[in-house]
Amino acid sequence: MSDAAILNLVLWLPVAGMALVSALPEERPDRVRWATFWVMALQFVLTVWLYVRFDAADPSLQFATRLPWIPDWGVAYLIGLDGFNVLLVLLTAFLGPLVVAGSFTAITKDVKLFHAMLFLIQFAMLGTFVAQDLFLFYLFWELMLVPMFLIIGIWGGERRIYATLKFVLYTAFGSILMLAAMIYLVWTLKNTTGVDSFAFADLYGVKLPVDAQTWLFAAFALSFAIKVPIVPLHTWLPDAHVEAPTAGSAILAGVLLKMGTYGFMKLGFPLFPEAAKLFTPLVMSLAVISIVYGACLALVQTDIKKIIAYSSISHLGYVMLGLASLDLIGIQGAVIQMVSHGLTAAGLFMMIGMIYERCHSRDLAAYGGLAKILPLYSVFFLLLTLGAIGLPTTSGFTGEFLSLLGAFRAAWGAYEAGVAWPLWLVGLAVTGVVLGALYMLWFAQRFLYGKLKAPHLPITDLSTREVAVLAAIVVAMFALGLFPDEPLSKTELAARQFQQLVETGGSAFASVR
Amino acid sequence: MNAMSVILAMLPEHALLVGLCALILIEVAGGKGRTGLAVAVVAVAAATSAAIALWFGGYAAAPFAGHFSINPQTEIAKAVILALALPVLLISRDDFHDTRFPLLLLSSLYGTCLLVSSDSFLTLFLGLEIMSLPVYVLVLLALQRPESAEAGLKYLILGGAATATFLMGASLLFGASGSLALSAFPEALASQALMPRAAVVLILCAFFLKAAVFPFHTWAPDAYEGASVPVTAYMATIIKAAVVLAVVRLFGTAEVTPQLAGLVAILPLASIAWGNVAAIRQTSFRRMIAYSSIAHAGYLFFALLGTAGGRFQAVAFYVLAYGVMNLLAFSALPTGGDDAARDRIANLKGLYRRKPFAAIVIALAMLSLAGIPPLPGFVAKFLVFRNVMAAGHTWYAVLGLVGSYLGIYFYLRIIQFMFMSPQGEGDADERPRRLALGATLLCLVPVVLLVIFPGWVLGMF
Repeated sequence: MSDAAILNLVLWLPVAGMALVSALPEERPDRVRWATFWVMALQFVLTVWLYVRFDAADPSLQFATRLPWIPDWGVAYLIGLDGFNVLLVLLTAFLGPLVVAGSFTAITKDVKLFHAMLFLIQFAMLGTFVAQDLFLFYLFWELMLVPMFLIIGIWGGERRIYATLKFVLYTAFGSILMLAAMIYLVWTLKNTTGVDSFAFADLYGVKLPVDAQTWLFAAFALSFAIKVPIVPLHTWLPDAHVEAPTAGSAILAGVLLKMGTYGFMKLGFPLFPEAAKLFTPLVMSLAVISIVYGACLALVQTDIKKIIAYSSISHLGYVMLGLASLDLIGIQGAVIQMVSHGLTAAGLFMMIGMIYERCHSRDLAAYGGLAKILPLYSVFFLLLTLGAIGLPTTSGFTGEFLSLLGAFRAAWGAYEAGVAWPLWLVGLAVTGVVLGALYMLWFAQRFLYGKLKAPHLPITDLSTREVAVLAAIVVAMFALGLFPDEPLSKTELAARQFQQLVETGGSAFASVR
Repeated sequence: MNAMSVILAMLPEHALLVGLCALILIEVAGGKGRTGLAVAVVAVAAATSAAIALWFGGYAAAPFAGHFSINPQTEIAKAVILALALPVLLISRDDFHDTRFPLLLLSSLYGTCLLVSSDSFLTLFLGLEIMSLPVYVLVLLALQRPESAEAGLKYLILGGAATATFLMGASLLFGASGSLALSAFPEALASQALMPRAAVVLILCAFFLKAAVFPFHTWAPDAYEGASVPVTAYMATIIKAAVVLAVVRLFGTAEVTPQLAGLVAILPLASIAWGNVAAIRQTSFRRMIAYSSIAHAGYLFFALLGTAGGRFQAVAFYVLAYGVMNLLAFSALPTGGDDAARDRIANLKGLYRRKPFAAIVIALAMLSLAGIPPLPGFVAKFLVFRNVMAAGHTWYAVLGLVGSYLGIYFYLRIIQFMFMSPQGEGDADERPRRLALGATLLCLVPVVLLVIFPGWVLGMF
């Protein structure tokens, strides 16, 4: 089987999984769970194979499939891997089986539908990442809403309806504007070159006047910024995260939020380079505000799930900062930070889910001294906390450090050219690292140490299944922290292409001088 | 006029006519309702096949030159309309047990066929009336609650007003151009004189009334709620489709002039916005569908703004996608209880726990109507807005898309009720509905085709 066929198999395996799960009887939920787990595990194995086979020295699209789909409009089924999506596809496929395994005991209602929806969201997320055709990308991007709407709305907490509607209505608003911009963009391509195509590669070549670019970038950026989310468009996230079941939160934090930053990386910046450069100061400022504001909000939360939710906003701020720096190291750092946050946030959400399953409370004040009775739990919790803080040797360090380094290099370039404020901005971003350590360690201290209290005693420590899930995440986290060279080399050419498309020529702040 | 072309070109109409005669005979002979329904299904299926065959053969003829002509475009339009009537017939079994429903439906369908094939205002008028008159009766036929009488009366009066407006416009046009041919309409579009322009506005308003476009929409919620499920399904899909396809034929290849752009952009936009907003607060399913159909009438007329070349394709595809999804929802609606109880949206609460298949089908329909990809409704909407943008109306297109955003909530609310609410009131025992299930499956075939091969379906129009 060719590698391109394997990529197709990876993408379509969830659809087959949905069919399989629908055929199983509702009365035997364990069969449904295991079937889902094994299909997802197979998908992960295949993805690892693709990752290994991915040639870091080849800048072109790899394992590509192109089939005409709606020839009248030039829409093609065009998928493939490049340096940006290869890591994200791996992350998505990695978290898939873990999320399933993490929900074995948590989900007892409508088990079939739940697992079918997990498959559907896996399909939509992978599709969004591998699509190289704007129409296809949009299709998967929107399709993602449906399973998430149901996952939060059916298996969520008390305010699940409110949270899920807020999530969908927020995201859909961005999408509608993106759709308008997309139609305009493709129509312009047709008008200027006579080519009917939605392929990214063709659309990169569209030459638009700056004012049109500004509008279109604004539409795309709004859609992506809601998904990331960048402050002030973040208000849906705490609600969605808190009300979602553990699996939903883990998928949201682990993969879904990365669709926003990936969108900026793959579409927003390269499609509209001049407008992107005009907006860079704004994007960087909002990224820094997200870092600091998200961290400050995380500091004062009393709901343990909300702490992690707000920390996501903060951590994705680094991604946006690294990306908007347009510096090679910053861009690569952004990709690593995306994967790193996917691992730690998904892991932490699952850990919170595990304690919630045992005690049915998310109130931080109700807990304390858990380390005394839950040694295993505490070890994993601390390891993931250290990863989230960005301690050296963990993936968080690689991601945050490189993103900040890239931003600093860009800002230093601007400083030498006589613009000082970016340097201040980056300096402010660095305080986010300190704040990050503060809220996470303080959280861990109140949660794990001190006087023993819990809403429900006695509590059993982690089961083998839970240990296996968490161990996988922790191993991946350290692997990415200790050996970042390999994944970094795979992103390098893509990052260079990105730079070339945006035509930085050194400084991101050229336009504001 | 030669006999051969009359026989061949009007084959779909003849099939309907034969079916009608057979139904009358059955009615006279006191035959069973089931026989009548079977005859009607066969007649409509035959008419659909005939239309498809004529389209496939690329046959074009004018059996009544200047009044009635067919070409592949008219035949594919007829095929879509007639095919949509099949599920309507199949779901009628729950509400109608005698031959009157199929009889009236078939005569109305005859009118829709005339409508999309007409070349002169005379045939157009005949088609409109033959299509509408049976529906006035159909609305009243379901008379199960007092509101139905009110709904029927309202529909009758406003239908009469539409007819009068149309006739007024047509006679003004005749006065200005001295011709009853449809081609007088595009000429009047380009004209600067007052009389032809007034004629254009009056004729368009008559069609807006028939298709329930804001602000001529007020009859629709009452009529839809008062009528029965199959009649509502018929009005929401087929009548709307025929009216819009007739307007597309009326416009021909003429571009929308800037003066008229206001009328065919602003009113549909208002229709989209108002339909979508008003639907949010409804508690009756059919009333909600009425407002949804007002919004969708907005999209359909909005398509007129598009480039002349792509207009028919956009409207025909939209009509197909919208019709199929609507009928899919109607065919899966739970029965049990009296009509008023069945119609309550709250009746859908917890439907997934009771009937998972029906709930999933209705959810698919709602998502498609909301325009969520990759369902057919999305491709249809994309096509409309693509053409409008290609015609240079960028801001109208953006406004239209924002208007469509308003519609997402109330469709999701239905899904929320079915999947996220505890068991509702509608747990009365339900009869097995083999025919309605058949209608669901019948609708699922084009849905699958539209999702997997949209390009292929687009190529047909």
